[in-house]
Amino acid sequence: MSNNTVIKVEGLSKQYILNKSGASKSDTLYGNFLNGLRNVKNIARKKETEEFWALKDVSFEINQGDRVGIIGRNGAGKSTLLKILSRITPPTKGRIEYSGRMASLLEVGTGFHGDLSGRENIYLNGSILGMNKFEIDRKFDEIVDFAEVEKFLDTPVKRYSSGMYVRLAFAVAAHLEPEILIVDEVLAVGDAAFQDKCLGKMNEVSAKEGRTILFVSHQMAVLSALCNKSVLLEKGQFVGMGPTDKIINTYLHRGEKNTGQNYDNSEPANGAKLKIRSVRVLNHVQTTVSEINNLYKGYVEVTFEVFEKGRGYDVSMELKHMQYGSIFTTCLKDIDTEGNDNKVFEKGVYKYCIELPLSFLREGEYIVSFAATIPKVEVLDVFNYDTLFSILDSTSPVAKTTEGRYGAILPVLEWKKMESVII
Amino acid sequence: MTYLCNKLNQEKIIIDSNLSSFFSLKDVLKYKSLLNNLAKRDFLVRYKQAFAGIMWALIKPLMNILVFGYIASKINSSADTASNFVFVASAMLLWQLFANVFNDVSNSIIGNSNLFAKVYFPKIIIPLSSILVCLVDFMISLIILIVLFIISGQTIHWHMILAPLFIILTLINGFGIGLYFATINVKYRDVKFIVPVILQFGMYVTPVIFSSTFYMEKLSRFIPDWLLWLFYLNPMVGAIEGFKYSLFGGDAIYNFNYFILSTTISFLFLLIGVKYFYKFERNFVDYI
Repeated sequence: MSNNTVIKVEGLSKQYILNKSGASKSDTLYGNFLNGLRNVKNIARKKETEEFWALKDVSFEINQGDRVGIIGRNGAGKSTLLKILSRITPPTKGRIEYSGRMASLLEVGTGFHGDLSGRENIYLNGSILGMNKFEIDRKFDEIVDFAEVEKFLDTPVKRYSSGMYVRLAFAVAAHLEPEILIVDEVLAVGDAAFQDKCLGKMNEVSAKEGRTILFVSHQMAVLSALCNKSVLLEKGQFVGMGPTDKIINTYLHRGEKNTGQNYDNSEPANGAKLKIRSVRVLNHVQTTVSEINNLYKGYVEVTFEVFEKGRGYDVSMELKHMQYGSIFTTCLKDIDTEGNDNKVFEKGVYKYCIELPLSFLREGEYIVSFAATIPKVEVLDVFNYDTLFSILDSTSPVAKTTEGRYGAILPVLEWKKMESVII
Repeated sequence: MTYLCNKLNQEKIIIDSNLSSFFSLKDVLKYKSLLNNLAKRDFLVRYKQAFAGIMWALIKPLMNILVFGYIASKINSSADTASNFVFVASAMLLWQLFANVFNDVSNSIIGNSNLFAKVYFPKIIIPLSSILVCLVDFMISLIILIVLFIISGQTIHWHMILAPLFIILTLINGFGIGLYFATINVKYRDVKFIVPVILQFGMYVTPVIFSSTFYMEKLSRFIPDWLLWLFYLNPMVGAIEGFKYSLFGGDAIYNFNYFILSTTISFLFLLIGVKYFYKFERNFVDYI
């Protein structure tokens, strides 16, 4: 470890054993007993397990004061890495060395109890995050100030609005004073103004006091604003580490095959309310394609399954251009042809089709990604795969004159003649 | 500046695939405020939105004492009713303490999995905080015992100062066995159903309602005398005999050697429980 290195990760691997048939029977004593019987009678079936390496041989070093982003698709091993770093789960192989006090923020409001008041929860949550009573006492007013909840300090937090709840939860975490701070994608909650405030706080903490931050996010803009370095992971393997902008660029250009469709038939997580099942890119005759000709129409179709009846669910799609980055995000709630904002989703499978605004999309490679949320409350599901497709140059009005045009989109706008003076 | 100061005396932490931890008092003390806050949460939450509130900590054991005390006084009609009642009440309270600690500790780990799945802290803090909660409940229910003592006109002995020792022994019993079951509970949720059965059955093979002498007389009809020590493999027998002895004196301790056997078993269970817990503790998150 050189003088300046605070974290050193060497050959880190984590293996999970998956039961193929979901919750296997052998998870109960009775099931184990049955398996035992089968073994005795020698009719033991082939073990229905599968090995899965969530992380494989990852090594890197982080210097003091670095703000490091961890980039990768869902399932790349980002969360596993954070969990191992924060000592929540042990690695299968490899080792990590670090010095200094480390605090991890993998979730906001860990341990918050609805029946307890805001004040009681500050103490409870603070102590879970590793602060002692003295530290919390000292920071108490600052925390309350940051969260803007003075009036409701003695109200049980179950009566809080979701915004207040998240603010209070983040406020406690933001006032930790570790030398190393690990943050998972927790900022996805809360409104834009509050997100800015949180990022500002993190920047301040890191810049002023020389703390090291490890940060996972899917929002490239946030990463490039906050982090000076980044680590790129892919399918559990280390791809590279370097300046954030360079790594983001690498990440965006490492697409899987350009197929125009992706399916996810895996078992939903325990207690999942909703899962996105498939994303397809369709052409004007509703066939799955990987290339869309902008002479015709193009659609993106998403299928999701609701496991728990509820209201307020929202699904959003982000369209990214490989070269220009994010183009736009559109949400189910924007214009749902069936109507109201608080629509109740019954259990079942839903399919929606979104027409792509080809009239102003530039030619090139695109990625669509989907996520389902209850806005400002929780992230329900993030689709595991980015779907790639390309838009072909063709004879649409603007395509003819693409050369010499800059920018991410190519809108055809009206130029209304107001006045012309001919001398 | 604070940062620089910290940097001088910070320790290096190594996370390794085959590193195992064991109980460390230093770690527990470092997380003292978490221990307190978890216990406080469990205590506060239990009686929130209950009209009788904290009174339930009194009502529950009182009901038990009344029911079992009544039954006992009917059966042991020969003995003096009042002192018989106090006798049963004291054993009952101690048994309740054991039952609560055993039950709460065995469910504590899965009940708080949302915490250690997101934040690191020594997991032993969780069952330890369960003990604290049970102990507070016990202290409240001690009021009943003191009142009963005064009403029935019991005399004060010097050996009463031994009582806390047997309360601690009871905690050790509940904690040791509870920790073992808490570990199994992480993978096999069957524990939730097994524990109440063990407790229900256990009460009848422990001198709670009847004295040890009573059990020994009954048992000696079925098994040879030299096997009577089997009864003392139950670690709660020693704790309850000792507690009764400390409060009332007399012949509560049936046979001193057997009594030592029972208390030895207590510490053996504690050792097994703690060892087993630390063997799997690091991997809990992957099984929850």
